[in-house]
This record gives sequence, structure tokens and C-alpha cells, in this order.
Amino acid sequence: MPRTVSPGLRDELVAQIGNLRAFGVSLCGDRERADDLVQETLFKAWNNLDSFEEGTNLKAWLFTILRNTYFSERRKKKREVEDVDGAYAAKLSSSPEQHGHMDMQDFREALSELPDDQREALVLVGAAGFSYEEAAEISGCAVGTIKSRVNRARRRIAETLHLDETDEAEPELAGPASAGSRGG
Amino acid sequence: MTEDDKDKAHRRMAVDASKSTEQQDGGTAGPAGKTEATMSPALQAHIGRQVRAMFDSVADEPVPEHLLRLLKDLDDSGEN
Repeated sequence: MPRTVSPGLRDELVAQIGNLRAFGVSLCGDRERADDLVQETLFKAWNNLDSFEEGTNLKAWLFTILRNTYFSERRKKKREVEDVDGAYAAKLSSSPEQHGHMDMQDFREALSELPDDQREALVLVGAAGFSYEEAAEISGCAVGTIKSRVNRARRRIAETLHLDETDEAEPELAGPASAGSRGG
Repeated sequence: MTEDDKDKAHRRMAVDASKSTEQQDGGTAGPAGKTEATMSPALQAHIGRQVRAMFDSVADEPVPEHLLRLLKDLDDSGEN
């Protein structure tokens, strides 16, 4: 049981919930399950706050708990269910309206097709704002491993989305210019 | 949640932590060099923007009430 938790630390925990949800959804592709993961993460974090050194990287600590929770559950499930990846992809594509416009939907699908470890590395470094070193610590692997996972993740996404070196200036990036064509 | 459950959660976390340091993923330890052809910074940035947009679309949502309540409940039950 933790001693009294300082209000400051509690506020910091609350401030990370959004990031944790985003990380959870990125990992498992299922919003409901992601919220379960976040809930479990907060619960474990709260009960282990004694082992957290205040002033160190709370975000990294929380992300570590979440991913360990996710991967240990996934290992368990993998023994029971063959096609976990298939379930992920189906869940993701089931509700495009929730997921915003088509570009992002395509991207989510490409992300869902990545191996777990590559998806995790890309999200930690490319979206959650961690350095390679921090991501390596969170994932429990070498910095070089993270770098190579990120590289392979990018390459694979580029392949899946048929992006090539000339695509960086795609018109879609300029904004929702085509929004008018969508029902409205 | 019973004391026993908490205990289990504790133990599980210790186990998880030890597992994560000996990460078992196959296929990542090998020499990766030959597949690491260069990708242009512009394309990397493009993909980076997409990952961030996806991540932020969830991170910026309002936090569901039940998650906020959980912390409050844990806080309230502090001295049981």
C-alpha cells in the first residue's frame, strides 16, 4: 500500500491518462481493451508508487507498466487463440467513422499489420515523444534493436501504403480539401 | 479488489519486469544492416506525422469518467 500520494503526483498521473490511452489503442487496436489496459496500469502504478522515484520519468514508468501488462496478456492469449493479429485488424476496420478520415484509417490498418514489437517501437519513438534510449528502456531491449524496429516499421508502412520517395508532398497534407465530397 | 488480488498484481508486475529485460522476440537480434536501406527524411517525416496524428487523436480525447473515478477511489481508500 502506498503512503500518502502527493496531490502533485496524482495530478501527474491524471495528466498521463490520455497518452496511456493512445498508447493502448496503438498497441491493441481496440479502444475498449485499451481502456482496460489503462485501468490496470493505473491500478498497478498506484499500488507501486513506493517504487517510483518522484522526479524521474513518470510517463516512461507508466508506459512500461502498460506495455508489460499488454504483452504478458498477449502471450497468455496467444496460447489460446491462433489469430490475434487477425482479430486486431478486424476490430480496427470495423468502425471507420470512429477513426476519422480515410487517410488515418488506411494508416491505422497499415500499423495494425506490423509485428507487435515494430508497432510498439514506432509509436514510442514516432508519436509518444520518447528518445531511442527511453524507448529501449521501456521495451527492455537494446537501443540498436529499437532503431532497427523503427526503421523496419517505417519501411513496411511505406510499402503497405504504396508510399514512395515522391509522396512526401501529398496534397492531403495541405488539409481537408476534399471534405466537401463527403456527404456534408 | 481483495488484498489477495493486489498481491497477485504485485507479483505479476515483478514477473513482467523481468520478462521485459530478456525480450524474447525472435528476428530482431540478428544483423539488421542489409535491410536498412535509406529512406528519405521527407518520407520518414511523412510517416511520423501520420503516427502522431493517430496517437494524438486518442490522446487528446477527454479522459473517460471511469478512469478518473478509479484514481479518486484509490485515493479515498488510501488507508484501508
